[in-house]
Amino acid sequence: MNGFDSVEDTRRALEAVGYICTPQVATVVFLAAATDKPLLVEGPAGVGKTELAKAVAQSLGRPMIRLQCYEGLDEAKALYEWEYAKQLLYTQIVKEKVRELIGAAASLSEAVERIAVEESAFFSERFMLARPLLKAITAPDPVVLLIDEVDKSDPEFEAFLLELLSDFQVTIPELGTRRAASIPLVVLTSNSFRDMSDALKRRCLHLYIDYPPPEQELAIVRSKVPGLAEALARHMVAAMERIRGLELKKKPSISETLDWARALIALQLDTLSPEVVEATLGVICKHREDARQVAQQSAKVAASS
Amino acid sequence: MVPLILDFVACARAAGLRVSTGEVLDCLGQAGRIDPLDESQFFSLLRANMAKSRLEQERFDRIYHLYFHELQREIEDPSVSIAAQTEEIDAQVRAMAPRDPIAGAIADFLGGDPTAYLHLLRQIDGEGDSGRRGPGANLGSLVRRLPVLTALDQARTILADYLAAHRRQIHWEARRQIDRHIRQRLDSARRLLTEPERHAVSAQGIRRKPPENPDRLGERTFSGLSPAEVDQMRQVVARLVRKLKDAVGLRHAARSRGLLDVKKTLRRAARYQGVPLELRHRRRPPRKARLMVLCDLSGSVWSAARFMLNMIYAFQDCFDRVRSFVFVAGLVEVTGLFDHHDIDRAIAKVLTETDLEYGAATDYGLTLRQFRSACMDAVNRKTTVIVIGDGRSNYGNPEEGIVAEIRDRCRRLIWLNPESEAFWYTGDSEMRTYMPLCNEVRPCQNLNQLSDFIRDLVL
Repeated sequence: MNGFDSVEDTRRALEAVGYICTPQVATVVFLAAATDKPLLVEGPAGVGKTELAKAVAQSLGRPMIRLQCYEGLDEAKALYEWEYAKQLLYTQIVKEKVRELIGAAASLSEAVERIAVEESAFFSERFMLARPLLKAITAPDPVVLLIDEVDKSDPEFEAFLLELLSDFQVTIPELGTRRAASIPLVVLTSNSFRDMSDALKRRCLHLYIDYPPPEQELAIVRSKVPGLAEALARHMVAAMERIRGLELKKKPSISETLDWARALIALQLDTLSPEVVEATLGVICKHREDARQVAQQSAKVAASS
Repeated sequence: MVPLILDFVACARAAGLRVSTGEVLDCLGQAGRIDPLDESQFFSLLRANMAKSRLEQERFDRIYHLYFHELQREIEDPSVSIAAQTEEIDAQVRAMAPRDPIAGAIADFLGGDPTAYLHLLRQIDGEGDSGRRGPGANLGSLVRRLPVLTALDQARTILADYLAAHRRQIHWEARRQIDRHIRQRLDSARRLLTEPERHAVSAQGIRRKPPENPDRLGERTFSGLSPAEVDQMRQVVARLVRKLKDAVGLRHAARSRGLLDVKKTLRRAARYQGVPLELRHRRRPPRKARLMVLCDLSGSVWSAARFMLNMIYAFQDCFDRVRSFVFVAGLVEVTGLFDHHDIDRAIAKVLTETDLEYGAATDYGLTLRQFRSACMDAVNRKTTVIVIGDGRSNYGNPEEGIVAEIRDRCRRLIWLNPESEAFWYTGDSEMRTYMPLCNEVRPCQNLNQLSDFIRDLVL
């Protein structure tokens, strides 16, 4: 499949690969895919930003290339790197050949001239290690390029991304400008650790994914954890909603809900009681202080609506 | 649809959203691909293109609702035309003060074009630095709101008068509709004016740590320390500072991998008969962290102030580009003092020799205005701004617009509050106003919290 037909089609295609989303999300994803615009996805941790990119790749039947950003990430890690050791090895091996080549030269400048003709032997794609960005650009078939946690990278790297995002080309000084053989669908995710620059934002469609509304969360639980009894799933989602209402350091998100559902199945429980909440706290809360707070309120949290 | 979207863009720009022409073009190009009659799709289209951060989304939603819901409300019964009469009222509103931009803006608003009115509101909120000083200066935006409120009330009177005067000419059904139509618009104008914009919280909550050993030094608040403990505390802070230096050093080490340095590599190769065995990489200079620290030294945070000054001193020791400020009512730069003296003398000098009025009432608004006029152009994407203070502004104008501006320009904006969290939202504390605008808010009341902050500090 080379794109989605309509918003509804997008929603259905994503649902078919197990990603349930609101019409808003589907609309923006559809527009990004239809107009080859990069997509900047923001939202709290664990609401399925990365998952969205995976689902889009799967539903479009495209391979996904992932670039994880971190502080200090540079072009050598993101774009390409000359494979120096290999270059060195090759020059050592062909040393004799080089000597033969320049042996017949009458003058120094002629020798240099002869070597210069063979320049491409040293700087060619043979010696280049393609990193995710170059891979995404040069792939013959369109791919989905996920640039994860772009807010963790340095401003310099962000500026470097601009050429890629607006023109889908990258420049390698020794080889020239590489245009994309096929335009990749770029998904950038951000946890709002810092704000992205206006220039970057202008080139992207923006999508904010929030904690899902209860019905949607229920649908997600149903599709991802099919073994869970309907009543328990409802009860659990309602309890999760209440936990998010507490003043927590890190609110549990969808991934925690799913872990919790799986934990309840593993424990073979079919009702939610305060004791069960306390026993499975480790799945929901990732901080001691949060866990303590939820434990104190466990009766309220586990109350059946 | 094109004029409609363009109109909306003009409106959004008037309200202060930055929408570029490129984004409008994208938006128009994409409009053909969705079903414009499905509101959720239409809304997503505009929002994805025009509001590109969590902070902007809230404002966008407001404008969207105003433009597409409140102002485009269909007149119930199209057979009774009220256009002529509403236009007449419009003209009267405009005529009540012919040269006054307020009356003009309100008349436009009643006519369905909110651009001028939104622009007016933004001026009211934004013009913090009106140059006026003295009593009442910090009431700024409140005072400026008043004439608009009066004008709205006048417009309401005009409506009532008009309807009373034309009692006989107009059918009661039409009269009722005119009344409702204009009233609704006046109500939305009033709401825009009086209901402050709520920012979506973008700081990812408040960072807290569970208390570990309540009676140990680390958990004691700064205010409850004996002199001996103060000394002990100073040593711990010094240790923390060394740790911070180590962390900075580590970053240097991690940064040494970069592009190949051909010159150095070839020079090295001379040792091995010309075979470049040892590779040399060009050292990428570590990102120069630029810091701006603003520290509140007023009475309410006095107990913590010394430690904060200690910390600022430490920052200046570790990083090259730190500018430090202290403030009570007004801002004083102390970078020079910290640069040229050792820690004890520097702190003593800050407390005695700067022309800061320690007795004055804290005024965050004034401080921020001074900061804007003096140093805003030094704030850029590489700058981390740290504000240390309790946000108690003695009911003055908090000038959150300037905080938003700082946030827009800097890399990260961090707020450290030395006050106990239980009191944050009480009295004259403006934490609720400032908090959503910061990238990070932390309580910083005792040593543990301070050391956590230093440990997590990523510039």
